[in-house]
Amino acid sequence: MSIAIRNISKQFGAFRALDDVSIDIPSGELVALLGPSGCGKTTLLRIIAGLEYADQGQILLEGDDASAQHVRDRQVGFVFQHYALFRHMTVFENVAFGLRVKPRKERPNEAEIRKRVSRLLELVQLEWLADRYPSQLSGGQRQRIALARALAVEPKVLLLDEPFGALDAKVRKELRRWLRQLHDEIHVTSVFVTHDQDEALEVSDRVVLMNKGKVEQIGSPDEVYDRPATPFVASFLGSVNLFHGRVEDGHLHVGEHALPVGAEHGTLDQAVGFVRPHEFDLRPAGVPGGIPARIVRIAAIGPLAQVELARQDGELIEVSVARDALLGLGLGEGDDVSLHPRAIRVFQKEKQAA
Amino acid sequence: MSATVSLQPGTAERYETAATREPLWIKVVLIGVALAFFAVFLLLPLASVFAEALKKGWGAYLAALTHEDAWAAIKLTLLTAAIAVPLNLVFGVAAAWAIAKFRFPGKQFLITLIDLPFSVSPVISGLIYVLIFGAQGWFGPWLAEHDVKILFAVPGIVLATVFVTFPFVARELIPLMEAQGTEEEEAAVVLGASGWQTFRHTTLPNIKWGLLYGVILCNARAMGEFGAVSVVSGHIRGQTNTMPLHVEILYNEYNYAAAFAVASLLALLALVTLGLKALVERQTRRQHQESISGEHS
Repeated sequence: MSIAIRNISKQFGAFRALDDVSIDIPSGELVALLGPSGCGKTTLLRIIAGLEYADQGQILLEGDDASAQHVRDRQVGFVFQHYALFRHMTVFENVAFGLRVKPRKERPNEAEIRKRVSRLLELVQLEWLADRYPSQLSGGQRQRIALARALAVEPKVLLLDEPFGALDAKVRKELRRWLRQLHDEIHVTSVFVTHDQDEALEVSDRVVLMNKGKVEQIGSPDEVYDRPATPFVASFLGSVNLFHGRVEDGHLHVGEHALPVGAEHGTLDQAVGFVRPHEFDLRPAGVPGGIPARIVRIAAIGPLAQVELARQDGELIEVSVARDALLGLGLGEGDDVSLHPRAIRVFQKEKQAA
Repeated sequence: MSATVSLQPGTAERYETAATREPLWIKVVLIGVALAFFAVFLLLPLASVFAEALKKGWGAYLAALTHEDAWAAIKLTLLTAAIAVPLNLVFGVAAAWAIAKFRFPGKQFLITLIDLPFSVSPVISGLIYVLIFGAQGWFGPWLAEHDVKILFAVPGIVLATVFVTFPFVARELIPLMEAQGTEEEEAAVVLGASGWQTFRHTTLPNIKWGLLYGVILCNARAMGEFGAVSVVSGHIRGQTNTMPLHVEILYNEYNYAAAFAVASLLALLALVTLGLKALVERQTRRQHQESISGEHS
């Protein structure tokens, strides 16, 4: 089922949680709502579910306005960050709950319930835990049970609120790969909220980047990473180095140095160039067209070397290069080099809020 | 969440460390003082109630209890509790639910209001009803006209009791429900459960021991309430006397054996309440620990 979010706004007291948000989510996609905490992503998810109401705007499910529909009629599955399993029920009863509370004429009989619950427990690979209570499970197991419970009612839309947020790093990695596989199997339209960029980029078909209640960019993981639409997106996805300067004649002028950026930017008085650590070439000092800097520290662990450099004005720059390339240049701490960005994303400098 | 659950005594484990360990003689003295105090101020009076009650033998004891007026008092007390406790069960759950699960303006005020019966003297609680329903009160003339008797009759006693025992259930449930949050309820609703199903299958199982605890305390107070009931009852023998009031009347008539016989019933009620309370407390603690381990393991 497709989801269309139309001009949603939501205010909590004086705090504007969502400001005119519109997103289209086609049927069958796995979409990540990504942003820093407080950006409104969880509020938006809860509004889609019907657990929260928007002040303005509409939620269309499969083209029909669901704004007035009660949460129990929306046919959504919701997975909570802290699982929210029913603590006094066994795993089996937790998963069966959605089937048991159906009105009598829609409710499957006991044999059918057993069959469906076992099938779901198989799907999440935890059928051997059917008689346990939630308190006897690990965090990762609980979250998978929570997912099975949400899927039991055959939701048209699956909504996950920071589903792996409360798990440790290793389990989190396993589970997100597993979620991706599960989604490829059952193809239910899914939206998940996360503040972890790796998680969003690895798992989702599309990423919706949010900041301060607004959508910054919507696109595939590649798009948002390689072609960030706003300075916020550029700096939120991975680390970046900033170059402040002025754009003229196809060059970003930083102090007395000029970096080629292409002619499409025209002339900008106040510009910022974003360069990711792996998008630099290190050349010997004095090579023209680069920015001179001095190597402060080299951490060469694994195939990539992390190099910290100081520009002449003292600003620090992070660069990661292949370890072999660094060795080939024969550079060490304290050496002067010239930095040559391979790609610079240039934005008009954001006006600082007063 | 621990800050809100501290009302169950003994929940926190105590560890004896070198820094807090005391010499033996200090322990002996402290425990001895506590026990002596306990014996003089609690055990002795309790024992004397039963001793006085049985002073003239079992025959007199039973006669006092089966006396027409005593029997009426017992029945009235049971009736009052049978009305007041279920009412406060419903009010208490509703109030706790509203306060713990929703955000709304005036919430703090409502919490303060729930505590009101605890903070005013029971005599004042009784007088409120005299002011409202008494002959010179707001509704007195209207009630007299329509021949409805509230004051100096059973309805007045029930009202006063309901007022005095109002906080018990709500006070017990609010911290418990606040600690449990609303996620399980939300999960149930998303899965298609109706309001009643959500309450019945998720909220109630999570609060049942706390609820029982509140009901037991509420019941004990409903049966034992003296001050507020005394003001509104009118002390009509065999009609508007509850057990505590009946004890007072007998005592004032120097009928000690009978007074203590009825008093012994109230004392027994207290003992049973304590026993139940201890049992329920143990269950509540277990459930609480489960819910904690259910969240953090």
